[in-house]
Amino acid sequence: MKDRWNFKLSAPAIVACNILISVLAHLIIVMPFVPSMAIMVAAVVIILIMDRYGAVNEIFDSYIAHKKVAVVSGAVCLVVIPISLTSQNYAAQIACTAVVYMIACLGLNFQMGSTDMTNFAPAAFMGLGAYGVGVAVKHFHVSPWVGVLIGVAAAVAFGFVIGLPTLKTKGYYLSLVTMAIQLAFTQIIYITPFLGGQGGLTDLASSGGRFTLFGLSLYKRYTVAGIRFAPQIPYLIFCGVVLVLLTYVAMRVYFTKSGLSLNTIAQDEIAANCMGIHVSKQKLFAFVIGGVFCSIAGSLYAGLDAYVGPDTYNFSKSLMLICMVILGGMDNSIGIIVGTFLLTVISEKLRDVGDFQQLVYGAILVIMLIVRPNGIIPKRVRNYCAVTGRTIQKNVLKAAKAKAGKPAGDKG
Amino acid sequence: MMGCTYTLVAIGYCLFFGVLDVVVFCCGDIAMFGAFGIVGAYTVLYSAGLFGALPLPLFVLLLLLIAAILCAALGLVSYYVSIKPFERSSTLMPLLSTIALGTVIKEALGLVFQPAINGMAAAVTNPAVPDPKTVVGGRNPQAMPSLIAAGGSMVQRNITIILIMVVILAVLFLFLNKTKMGLSMQAISQNKELAFMTGMDVKKIIVITFVIGGLLLSVGGFVLGSYQTIIRFDGGTLYGTKGFSAAVVGGLKSTWGAVIGGMLLGFVEVFAAGLIPGGTQWQNIIAFVVIIIFIVFKPEGIIGEKTIEKV
Repeated sequence: MKDRWNFKLSAPAIVACNILISVLAHLIIVMPFVPSMAIMVAAVVIILIMDRYGAVNEIFDSYIAHKKVAVVSGAVCLVVIPISLTSQNYAAQIACTAVVYMIACLGLNFQMGSTDMTNFAPAAFMGLGAYGVGVAVKHFHVSPWVGVLIGVAAAVAFGFVIGLPTLKTKGYYLSLVTMAIQLAFTQIIYITPFLGGQGGLTDLASSGGRFTLFGLSLYKRYTVAGIRFAPQIPYLIFCGVVLVLLTYVAMRVYFTKSGLSLNTIAQDEIAANCMGIHVSKQKLFAFVIGGVFCSIAGSLYAGLDAYVGPDTYNFSKSLMLICMVILGGMDNSIGIIVGTFLLTVISEKLRDVGDFQQLVYGAILVIMLIVRPNGIIPKRVRNYCAVTGRTIQKNVLKAAKAKAGKPAGDKG
Repeated sequence: MMGCTYTLVAIGYCLFFGVLDVVVFCCGDIAMFGAFGIVGAYTVLYSAGLFGALPLPLFVLLLLLIAAILCAALGLVSYYVSIKPFERSSTLMPLLSTIALGTVIKEALGLVFQPAINGMAAAVTNPAVPDPKTVVGGRNPQAMPSLIAAGGSMVQRNITIILIMVVILAVLFLFLNKTKMGLSMQAISQNKELAFMTGMDVKKIIVITFVIGGLLLSVGGFVLGSYQTIIRFDGGTLYGTKGFSAAVVGGLKSTWGAVIGGMLLGFVEVFAAGLIPGGTQWQNIIAFVVIIIFIVFKPEGIIGEKTIEKV
């Protein structure tokens, strides 16, 4: 191992770091294609170099050490970034899309990253949420919030349905089942007039498809202090809050016994079974919770576009989400958020240049798999003692020190 | 008919899986590439004035040859780009990389073959009954030149396709069972280490397998294109998934299983379309349901041994 950088960020440094990240994010979103790409590539290269010397992990540790400062400054940045976009509709749209995809990718990560089950149907789950909103608004004429609930309920049911075959299959077969489900999903929507068929459910906005909160529309042009804001800004803030909540949930799940079991199943299913982990239950759990995340993302996406169509939730969208998870780094929530952000921005900016989106996704996926299969920010070495709390961790450390020379229970 | 086209792709999957134990998911896209290769070559040759100069069978053979070379080359590329780097990593890596490569192939086809380029070829061919699914909302629905029995009836075309199929199967059977190369491929499929120990050049044979798979897939693309009369750049995904499903239904390591599986899948689809009222819309869905049921209850396929995982 090369010489590692050992340093701890102090509280002001963390605030500075947060501000730096927000400024970078802002620039990447707002700048035109070429400079935006340049900043992005530079940022990725710096991250990769830092990761080589273990600096990224140090930064993570410092963030955990100064949790309160990090959270408060992060929250401020989260509100400031959307507001800083002011009247730039397109930039706000990109940011919103990115946030929605981040939520979906966090969900997909439960299956792909944690449990190593490649699910080729995350877009179908997103579609469930989106069609939940679409149907609620268009056919039942109720608030889209009801649609979110419908979507989540459908996703739970669908998660069980997809999850059941996975109990019996794995590897290629599992991939094929999920692929078949994804393709069948699109086909079913094509031929169901109730769901709008190929045209999809259009013009949700006029039937009240926009989300409202306490009587305030979340998708509206507000003018505050003389500045006209883009209509997406409040929605962006709302999505950001949802993202933070769900990231918190995802991280908590990672640190619970359930998350640990999922990782164990990923490493060796038979061994996990022998150790008394209820493999079927955990796999179903991964599918259901991932499905719920994706469904929420789909609902938010429907609220953003005011349109739900089968082509938005087809196989290539699934592939895109998988690509985002791999690029960012499997089983690392922060990595996934970074990867999703980068890929969404790349693809949205490419829209100006030409119809290269899918081509670029494919190429990036191939290159990433060959060059750096673990992603930009790979998963961290698990601190296994963190599962059950700090006291035990201290005890274990003490015990480890007593047995000099032998490392504590890290598998690495 | 559908069965024939699925069978060709399914055999491709079986060959690759047998030799390498990986699923090459871009098979469908390679086949599509072959079909588009034929379209492209047709356009080029037509504008070069070769269409009238050569007798039709010779012309078709020339086109097929071009497509076969292209597909074989693409097979090699897919091996070196998406399989070879992941020989020692987990099984999911080649799966993802081949799918990604398939996307690249597909999108490249979509970019290169804009509808305008092929306008002439479309005008030349007699407009047969187009499949509505392939036309609606397509970025580049291309008319496949009706090369098999041009001017002939549908029945004539279908018989030709079945004949092509039978000839290919016969050649493949002879190759696999009567030639040294084919026998070494079977040996590698059964036990790679042992084959290596007995002095076979495993690497060479793997490469050759990919070339042969590419050739097969080019014929598959040709047959599929001729059958559907209109091809789209992203037709390969559905086609490839169904081919793989056919291979799974039949049993992944057995060539005959692939034939049976392909036929079975084709029959299920056709019967679904024919017997259920309004079934044409449902045929894909029913096919997928059959696949899922098969995978869940009989993952080893019709012909195939049950494997029990040991620690």
